[in-house]
Amino acid sequence: MSFRKIKERIMLGLIAILALLSAVPIFAIIFSVYFEGMKHVSLSFLIDLPPPPIGDKAGGIGPALAGSLILIALALAIGGTIGFFTGLFLSEFSHTKLAQQTQMILQIMVEFPTIIVGLFAYTVLVLPLKRFNALAGAFALAIVIIPYIALNVKEAYKSISFTLKEAAFSLGLSAPTAYLRVLLGAAKSGVLTALLIGMAKAAGETAPLLFTILGSTFTYFAGLDQPIHAIPLLIYNFALSPYERWHQVAWGASAVLLTIILTIFLVSRMIIRGART
Amino acid sequence: MEICDLNVWYGGNHVLKNINLKIPKNVIFAIMGPSGCGKSTLLRAMNRLLELNPTAKVSGQVMVDGINIYSDKIDVTWVRRQFGMVFQIPNPFPHLSIYDNVAIGPKLNGLTKSKSELDQLVRWALEKAYLWDEVKDDLRRPAAALSGGQQQRLCIARAIALKPRIILMDEPTANLDPVAAMKIEELMLELKEDYTIVIVTHNPQQAARVSDYVAFLYLGELVEVGETSQVFTRPINKLTEKYVVGRIG
Repeated sequence: MSFRKIKERIMLGLIAILALLSAVPIFAIIFSVYFEGMKHVSLSFLIDLPPPPIGDKAGGIGPALAGSLILIALALAIGGTIGFFTGLFLSEFSHTKLAQQTQMILQIMVEFPTIIVGLFAYTVLVLPLKRFNALAGAFALAIVIIPYIALNVKEAYKSISFTLKEAAFSLGLSAPTAYLRVLLGAAKSGVLTALLIGMAKAAGETAPLLFTILGSTFTYFAGLDQPIHAIPLLIYNFALSPYERWHQVAWGASAVLLTIILTIFLVSRMIIRGART
Repeated sequence: MEICDLNVWYGGNHVLKNINLKIPKNVIFAIMGPSGCGKSTLLRAMNRLLELNPTAKVSGQVMVDGINIYSDKIDVTWVRRQFGMVFQIPNPFPHLSIYDNVAIGPKLNGLTKSKSELDQLVRWALEKAYLWDEVKDDLRRPAAALSGGQQQRLCIARAIALKPRIILMDEPTANLDPVAAMKIEELMLELKEDYTIVIVTHNPQQAARVSDYVAFLYLGELVEVGETSQVFTRPINKLTEKYVVGRIG
């Protein structure tokens, strides 16, 4: 083998090792979270109140899990609706100045520190109500997910061939009917994926919740204007606490959160793959 | 249908220049010309589908049964319902079944009152398009599973299910094999009994085979229009003669 060939082999080997190395952190995270966390997870862990910090009562993450689900649903209802129509606008009116500027703003929003979004929600929804509340949390999460949903919905509608759009409009349909009742079906997998990406984002965010929901550690959902809890916030609070028992709950909660996110990710992958075949 | 002083621009590009045309009822009217001469644009100006292109600008009149479809008082969705349109690439909605592809137009436009009426209309349209016998046993199959020729006939069924006055066809056989293309041409002759058909083609032989009248469009200008037999045997314009014998195109 010539020296040139040997050099090439060595370089390729190095590149392959580096590529593998970049995948190590993700697997290390998944492994450590499940290794430390799964031993605490059971059905009652998902339902029960957290344990007192001292003693050996098992306890669970009931309020935080319920709170997270409620917050995700609300954020998706608000952010999904606004994001969907914004994305549709971006796709179909891309020639207008307004769409171009909106797109630029959304791209900035994607990069925006989410803690600032939380502060904003604090000033507009927490201060006036004089109370941390679920609505403020959902509002902050909605703002965080809008750009993700809008930009992905835009791509979903952009991917519809022009001839299919012509076919829909040639049937004499109004623009809302054509876009929502005919073409939405053609963009379905992309739109669903956009919503799932938004969902995963809403499920995992902590920063926007710090100033908005407080975290009602020991009470279940009590109303939109009341404090509520969420899994990321529980992990943050419990992991920082000095109590061993709460550390264990935080590990268990991390495993539950990771499972939720990975499930959403897998479902969206399946939808994308299904759309391709 | 009558077209008067029609001009179309894409941005600053003047693509159709002073087109004047009269299209009689129940005929096949072919618009032929080389690629890029503005035939498809002319077809889309007839049902105002051109307005999907934000850079398109239109001036002039298109009269359908005495109504100027470019009048401010006319609703564009009404205009498009007067025309059924068939496109160059067979474009059934791939996510819908065979049945729904035909049913969706009448359903969303509120043309039928009951499910049974809709069923009848779908069957009628599929029969008219010579597709019923091939698909009647699995109307719920996705339209994407059909062959290219079947998809194009499905698109014809979708177009006539709206009970339009005029059918517009934009090179409907350009992407089909010869056998499927021949079926579509036979179907056109059949449909002529009930509809006026305007077909765009870049193939002069096709125009000669199927049409009663033909217009020759070149670089956005109407060069010649007349009865097909006359245009193909005694063309008035030298350019038309060159085109029909295949020396430009």
